Amino acid sequence: MIEFTVNGERHELVETSPSMPLLWVLRDHLKLTGTKFGCGMGLCGACTVHLDGVAVRSCQLPVAAAAGHSITTIEGLSATEQHPLQLAWVAEDVPQCGYCQSGQIMSAAALLNTGAAVTDDSIRNAMSGNLCRCGTYGRINKAIKRAASAPKEA
Amino acid sequence: MTISTMDLSRRGFLKHSATVASGLAIAFYLPSGLAATDPKAPAPAGEFEPNAWVRILPDGTVKLVVHKHDSGTGTHTALAACVAEELDVNPMTVQVISPEDPFFETYIHPIWKVFSTGGSTSVSLEYDRLRMAGATARALLISAAAKQWKVSPDTCSTVEGRVVHGASQRSLGYGELVGVAAHLPAPAKVTLKDPAQFKYIGKLRHKRDAQAKVCGRFKYSIDVVLPDMLVAVIQRTPVVGAKVLSVDAVAALQVPGVRRVIAVPGRPDVLGGNLEGVAVLADNYWAAQQGRALLKVQWSASPLAGFDSDELAKAQAAALDDKGAQRVSAMAAGNVNAQWPGAAKQLEADYRMPYKVQNPLEPICITAQVKDNAITYWGGVQVPSSALEAAQTVCKIAKANVTINEMVSGGSFGAREAKYWLFEVAYLAQKAKVPVKLMNSREDEMRSLFMHPATLHRAKGALDAQGRLTALQLNAVSPASPEQWEPGYFERPDKMDYSTTEAITAWDFAYRPANLDLVWVKHESDVPSGWYRSVSFIPNVFAVESFMDELAHGAGQDPLAFRLASMHDRPRHVAVLKSAAERAGWGQPMPEGTALGIATNQGYTSFIAVVARLSKKDGVIKVDKLTCVVDCGLAVSPGGVEEQIYGGLMWGLGHALFDRMDIKQGRVVQSNFHDYRVPRMSDMPAVDILIVDGEPSKPGGVGELGSPSVAPAIANALFSLTGVRQRSTPLNLG
Repeated sequence: MIEFTVNGERHELVETSPSMPLLWVLRDHLKLTGTKFGCGMGLCGACTVHLDGVAVRSCQLPVAAAAGHSITTIEGLSATEQHPLQLAWVAEDVPQCGYCQSGQIMSAAALLNTGAAVTDDSIRNAMSGNLCRCGTYGRINKAIKRAASAPKEA
Repeated sequence: MTISTMDLSRRGFLKHSATVASGLAIAFYLPSGLAATDPKAPAPAGEFEPNAWVRILPDGTVKLVVHKHDSGTGTHTALAACVAEELDVNPMTVQVISPEDPFFETYIHPIWKVFSTGGSTSVSLEYDRLRMAGATARALLISAAAKQWKVSPDTCSTVEGRVVHGASQRSLGYGELVGVAAHLPAPAKVTLKDPAQFKYIGKLRHKRDAQAKVCGRFKYSIDVVLPDMLVAVIQRTPVVGAKVLSVDAVAALQVPGVRRVIAVPGRPDVLGGNLEGVAVLADNYWAAQQGRALLKVQWSASPLAGFDSDELAKAQAAALDDKGAQRVSAMAAGNVNAQWPGAAKQLEADYRMPYKVQNPLEPICITAQVKDNAITYWGGVQVPSSALEAAQTVCKIAKANVTINEMVSGGSFGAREAKYWLFEVAYLAQKAKVPVKLMNSREDEMRSLFMHPATLHRAKGALDAQGRLTALQLNAVSPASPEQWEPGYFERPDKMDYSTTEAITAWDFAYRPANLDLVWVKHESDVPSGWYRSVSFIPNVFAVESFMDELAHGAGQDPLAFRLASMHDRPRHVAVLKSAAERAGWGQPMPEGTALGIATNQGYTSFIAVVARLSKKDGVIKVDKLTCVVDCGLAVSPGGVEEQIYGGLMWGLGHALFDRMDIKQGRVVQSNFHDYRVPRMSDMPAVDILIVDGEPSKPGGVGELGSPSVAPAIANALFSLTGVRQRSTPLNLG
């Protein structure tokens, strides 16, 4: 049995194969489909979630490795859907097709979690593992800066 | 499905047409209260459907129909805005729906004669009639209110979904007028808004659906779940043309969750049809993938087993000298051959671009169910005609029994204009008798053999003693595009493939030396190729704009001045070139180790010029900045135009530096983003985009405008920086 927490809720997986990637457990077992599949090799970042607040690629993480840990997905980022990054993403009109944006936002949130200064360099370092084929990198940069300077969520 | 004695499908209602002031005919619905009996998409009683794009419910709900696929390009926002502007409702807050009947004839693409989205045409070609649709509905609602109030319609106006009679301070919501409006005759004449009064067109900075997309709530094809649904993955033929000899599925079927293994026959009889494959159907994707890994498939030999993309360049060069090759003149003037002997200077160069693959971030995914001799699709279907063709060809299902639940897709860039996945899912859904969700892995996406073809261009030019361009010849060696799938392609008298000759026909070729010979040399390799954002603009503009640069340097002239001197009657083109050059500091002193390169293209009645700035520091060459100026006429959604151009520039950077797909022994070499590189944030240079007010009356296309000039601009800057000319992409920055 694998026990872990997803968006604050405890889950116990009984029949799931321990080698099943966390991505598919989230999507197919827990019906949390906001986390996306893009490459299956940890190369595109569409499946990014937080493991104890740190960005990880869920397509590369066997669910057994999540045992005892706390996972946050895009659905759990904010109970009100008003996380500063979500507000900034809308204000800057970042999403085009939007498919990569759950992963982009989770990577950006992990950057903000570190408390590191938000600069072009730190943004580039944190975000270059997340591919966007539409071309939203410029607006993502602006949105992260906007969120970093916004008051913290109540 | 039963069809009653009257033609009660929705298309049956939209039959009456009226010619309006602009001379434009649009389809009208003559209201008769029969909508509720439509068996296919029952409309609520009393719904007002003045035409194919507007639905108003008695409760005031306004639904605008967008009959184009949105792959993230913002068509749902921009097209809805065209209707909403004239109807006087807010395009950001009203409902936007896909057509209840995607095969209603009014929705057919006016040029291609199929139901499809593409070619950067959605806004530019639909702008007029969508505005007319909104204006017509508004006129009927005003008439309905005027009748009720017993006043002249001329004394009424509209404000945000309400008809207002200012003099008596009365107003009625659109929903309250539905009953009366539905019984009024179509107006004979409709007046469109003065563009100066636009509230949304030309002003939109945001798109619909952003909130759902940032919260993970927005649903894509991959998120579709149906009762009893199985997920399918397909092991497709690794070499084009190979057939399945035998399948050992014993191990695959032992994987928990794997339910079935089904061989999928290839459809070589259909243009663009699917290749052979073996499908594994399971309860979920993970199980299906594990099952596929255990499949043992024996494939037959294929004539393409020896195909090597490196060798293709030689075959293409041989085609240039082959008298039997099919040569199609794209543009001709004077006599180029007469100019070579007396030329003061003559230049010749070959340019090459490799196979490239689209790689939308959402891999192809589509769900289908076949039941009671009807088929239903769920997913991002960019070309409804292909879904129909799959239903008719594979399942023998008639048009009336084809339903598409259309969804926004996670990018297309041409990938979703392929047919193979629709054919495959139709086959599997019919065989499996349960809903089937077909999913591509990234590896499947890269190896789907629907690639942008590799090309060879040979350019030759003559300069006179004053350094003027007197003759230009271009032979573009390329296979035919998938345009051949469209009706009538093979009957064209000029044998032209308009999608292969972009940028080198009279419409889009900017330069006018007295002697011109621009030719498409048709060369087929039997490796299928597909649609790809910006299509043949990419190799054609790379060759033309690189060669114009070589000619300028050959003439001892400034590349900008040389281009301007070679253009005639191109005011918008000249304007974007001059403006981009000025913004980028063209002609100004540059810091040591930096250089600029310029290139330009036009298309979709829009114009762009791009200046690339490169630098060399400690032996490392970098693209520092891309500056571009765009004239797309009227930008319906300026925020949308800006992001389309940014995306296009990013794609152009990919063409210049990364995109390259190899085929060895008939097999695609690359498989995922580790060996097929696409631009990341860390690859992006600074980007400066200026969108100028062009001819204000008409929007041009922008989705495919941005990329073609980037690679030649970078190659031209690279020459200025290093003195070495590179003529093949990806460019080597050393």
